[in-house]
Amino acid sequence: MNKILFFCTIAFLILLFSFSIERGEWTSVNENTLDEMSLDEVRMALGGEKSEHYMADYNPEKARIGLELILNGKRKKGLFKSKAISSYFVCTDCHNLNAEFSDAADQNPVDRLDYARKNKIPFLPGSTFWGIYNRKTFYNDDYVKKYGELIDKAKNSLPASIQVCAKYCSSGRNLKDWELEAIMHYFKQTELHLKDIRLTFDQKQSLANLQKLSTEEKKELLKEIESKYTSGYSAHFMETMPRDDRKYGAGGDAEKGKYIYDNSCLFCHLDGRVTYLKLDNDKLSAKLFLKNKTNYSDLSIYQIIRQGTYAMPGRNQYMPRFTKDKMSDQQIEDLMAYLNQLAEK
Amino acid sequence: MKNLGLIAVLFSIGQFGYAQDVTGTFNSTRIVNSHSTEMLGKKMWEYRIEHRFGDVAGSNGGAQTAFGFDNAADIRMAMEYGISDKIMAGLGRSKGIGRPYTSLVDGFIAARILTQNKENGMPISAALVGTMYYTYMKQISDPQSVANFEGKFSRRIAYSSQLVLSRKFSDRISFALMPTYVHRNYVAQDDLNDLVSLGAALNVKINKSMGVILEYFYNFENENFRTTATNSIGLGFEFVTNGHNFHINFTNARGFGELQYVALTQEDWLKGQFRLGFSISRNFKIKKS
Repeated sequence: MNKILFFCTIAFLILLFSFSIERGEWTSVNENTLDEMSLDEVRMALGGEKSEHYMADYNPEKARIGLELILNGKRKKGLFKSKAISSYFVCTDCHNLNAEFSDAADQNPVDRLDYARKNKIPFLPGSTFWGIYNRKTFYNDDYVKKYGELIDKAKNSLPASIQVCAKYCSSGRNLKDWELEAIMHYFKQTELHLKDIRLTFDQKQSLANLQKLSTEEKKELLKEIESKYTSGYSAHFMETMPRDDRKYGAGGDAEKGKYIYDNSCLFCHLDGRVTYLKLDNDKLSAKLFLKNKTNYSDLSIYQIIRQGTYAMPGRNQYMPRFTKDKMSDQQIEDLMAYLNQLAEK
Repeated sequence: MKNLGLIAVLFSIGQFGYAQDVTGTFNSTRIVNSHSTEMLGKKMWEYRIEHRFGDVAGSNGGAQTAFGFDNAADIRMAMEYGISDKIMAGLGRSKGIGRPYTSLVDGFIAARILTQNKENGMPISAALVGTMYYTYMKQISDPQSVANFEGKFSRRIAYSSQLVLSRKFSDRISFALMPTYVHRNYVAQDDLNDLVSLGAALNVKINKSMGVILEYFYNFENENFRTTATNSIGLGFEFVTNGHNFHINFTNARGFGELQYVALTQEDWLKGQFRLGFSISRNFKIKKS
């Protein structure tokens, strides 16, 4: 009898244990653990396909080197100095490393500026590197007009798009294997996690009880999750605003304009940090732009923001354009409103 | 991960620290003759071509010399480089004004040691400039001439040190004081090896790309020596374009470099002994790949 009781107890325990194994890690997942899960993990668990640049994990040392390359354009370790990727730019001249929106799915330039002001981050022409690992497409929409077949591969490949950026966008060179690898490790390290996207309570509950979901439900949940973050930033080139449409700052928000001037224009032009055109927070700089406000020249705010300039032999520093998705027409008017104010200072 | 986040935050803070230093006190690394407190940016190269014509008027000027255009008082070509944002160096070659030097090579190093800053209360910018000059001109056989050098290498060498103190008073007005010391290893009997001069300059910007500059150097002379020496006065007009700086000036100084415009100026504005000069500089970076 005792034996029967003993075996029954063992069988019950095995059953219980098997049950918990079957339910897997998801049953024991509480909300905090869920938050820390990477989107890659979640996507895989929901039957999502591996991205082209999928990495199972990152190496912290390589990620650190990747960050060093992003910030400085080269690596310096004791006497060893790697060759600069570009003599003219570093990544952070055009790209932030932080989030640029409170909602990871947002791409609206108005929200982007509001977030930048709130968090005191630069307002730059390039998309942020934050969450770039989780993107599927690069150099989207109109970038083909500028780069043509150079971005054939890069459009769907993060490593290839990094190479295009290093070689062409930054007037530099192709990355060596170890450099590209290090930057990829940094991107993997800074990939998005569930905490970075806005999931509903039900979606979180579904994730916590993943094994209960059917294949169809998983597919649906995967789709919903993928809609919660940007998998490719829109990039629409704009024509220079026609003269008749320009308001020259009338009705513009000068306070927002000041933020744009200080954190877009001066970010590169203050004392010619990145480029030859030296600007300052002074009335002479403002007057320079106001004098040219009706023009279709590089010194017209309306022209230069939308068209940028191109690198050329002997002048490799150029200004990238702000697409419609990175700066709105109203924000250009806000900038003009501030320049009007600055000129009167 | 936390460390990376911290680095990213610190980087952001660093980006926001840039707006405090006062910039653009002068548009170029030079005022008229003197150095300014401006430095080339890190890894920036600058190629300079500087030219001074002959006297506009006076016995050596006028219509006969097309108001000085027929003559070249001095010509300097130089390559200069920004070692860091606050330190630069340059190597130049001048024709030399021929009194006594020709074929003059100069090498200098300049460092901005103070930067005017509104937030931390620093009222001025300051730069130190040290220059060494060497002439490789042919030795003149006349032992009475300074250019005889008595066959000694060291006698071909001179030095200058300059402290440039500047302040940008407003968007348009900047002012500078330039105490300068010149030492020549070998001089004529009626000359002095050591000279001290105090320069002053006023820069008025008309707009973002044009400015007017007035510069004057007062030499503290011993009245028993250097009786023909005069103080240099310069009036400059500056045109800045994207990457170029074009400078037109009128000055009684014939030569470039502290050695020449401080120590060797003998011309008098009131006698028409001033000249048109210009300098063109082009900034560039060398692509390494």
